[in-house]
Amino acid sequence: MPREALLAQTLVELADTLVADFDVVELLTLVTDRCVEVLDVTSAGVMLVAPDGDLRVMASSSDTMRYLEFFELQAQEGPCLDSFRTEQAVVNQDLATVDGRWPRFAAEALKAGFHSAHALPMRLRGTVIGALNLFHTAPGKMSKADIAAAQALADVATIAILQNRAALESQVVNEQLQTALNTRIVIEQAKGMVAERLDLNMEEAFTTLRAYARNHNLRLVDVAYNIIDSTLTTSALDAAPPDTAVLDRSGLSPRWRSE
Amino acid sequence: MVGGERRLRILARLVGSGSPAFETKRLCEVCADVTQMSGAGIMLMSGDVPRGSLCTTDEVSALMEELQFGLGEGPCVDAFQHDRPVLEPNLAAPIVPRWLAFTGPVVEAGVRAVFGFPLQVGAVRLGALNLYCDRPGPLSDDQHADALVMADVAAHTILVLQANAPPGKLAEELEAGADLQYVVHQAAGMVAAQLEIGVGQALIRLRAYAFGNDQPLRQVADAVVGRTLRFAAEGRYKDPKP
Repeated sequence: MPREALLAQTLVELADTLVADFDVVELLTLVTDRCVEVLDVTSAGVMLVAPDGDLRVMASSSDTMRYLEFFELQAQEGPCLDSFRTEQAVVNQDLATVDGRWPRFAAEALKAGFHSAHALPMRLRGTVIGALNLFHTAPGKMSKADIAAAQALADVATIAILQNRAALESQVVNEQLQTALNTRIVIEQAKGMVAERLDLNMEEAFTTLRAYARNHNLRLVDVAYNIIDSTLTTSALDAAPPDTAVLDRSGLSPRWRSE
Repeated sequence: MVGGERRLRILARLVGSGSPAFETKRLCEVCADVTQMSGAGIMLMSGDVPRGSLCTTDEVSALMEELQFGLGEGPCVDAFQHDRPVLEPNLAAPIVPRWLAFTGPVVEAGVRAVFGFPLQVGAVRLGALNLYCDRPGPLSDDQHADALVMADVAAHTILVLQANAPPGKLAEELEAGADLQYVVHQAAGMVAAQLEIGVGQALIRLRAYAFGNDQPLRQVADAVVGRTLRFAAEGRYKDPKP
């Protein structure tokens, strides 16, 4: 299959995973295998960030690659880590001459037969979830087209992983979404009631609610609920002297907050 | 699994272009683009009730969402409630008239065809995608298939965005560009206090007033919050100012 067609097919395969219950390791293994088939590289590997913030090796196109990725994590130096930390592509690194940058990693990679290294961040709208490592046994540069193709594979894999995570957590995320919407509505309703009863404008009503919540160490949304179901009277609210003028000068955001 | 090619095309449009990939405005524009419609909007819904508009491409789609929010009827309300696409290729002269209050103002604004697609991920239902066209005519098979995949991508995108939000809050990316009609809820609170009724009932009174006086719900809410309209019961006065 011609290179462009294979690349296109891989992207489509990745796109398909967006609705399926897919295995992330399988998906990333597909990415690393196709990188080796489509791009002028010898080996490919992917690291993803774990919930604890550390990178984990998720897929490698060869055992040597896997070993080197583990070494990179152990030594805490190498192209993948740099790409992840800087959120930038780290490409065309000649391992024989970069010993200043990653002395231990470069020595180990050379021993394993690699001479050039490249890493691309897996990133979507400010979230970096990992990096794609590409190694070659020969020194030299990756073509611009290859870098773009590798980044395209990394990008689609990133969307697939993020959307899959969202789908797996869809119940929980949706509950959060509904809670967020309800919270805001209840606060707006309570503002309306307080504004009407105490003859305030909406901003003053909000300040009054927030001051009461802070003075009584309550969540704003709970105060709002109590106003709406009349377990808290607006006159009780007004009795508490607002101290928000002091708080506001401290630089706290005047936006509503639920805590 | 089908739809890979379509999905990729849609994702490429979403992540392509200079603008931030997951601005919801951009999401809406891609919805309209991909389906070759005049405009699109995404309505968040829960419990069969519109909660507000997440994004719209233009004034006409904003009007469509606002009317559906105010009236509780329209293509996205039906799509969400019946959990399937709702297609009206000839809104100005439909075979079976529906949405009696929604249709007039929308046709007047130039809408000739409307389509609603539910937004869901598995069993989770988030809202609906509204599409409109300024010419009458049904969706082609291709457009229909694109709209289904687009709705799926949009639903996933909403979850991806909300997944990073702090607890109890709407993600900033979702809030930006959204029209969640807060003034209507403020007005409901005021009317509840004026009539000594619950906020749910107050919202019904507001809607009834808007409908009865042929005014948009938001305009009525603005008047209440601006204190040019009161719902006070006879003989009852405002609480004295403390």
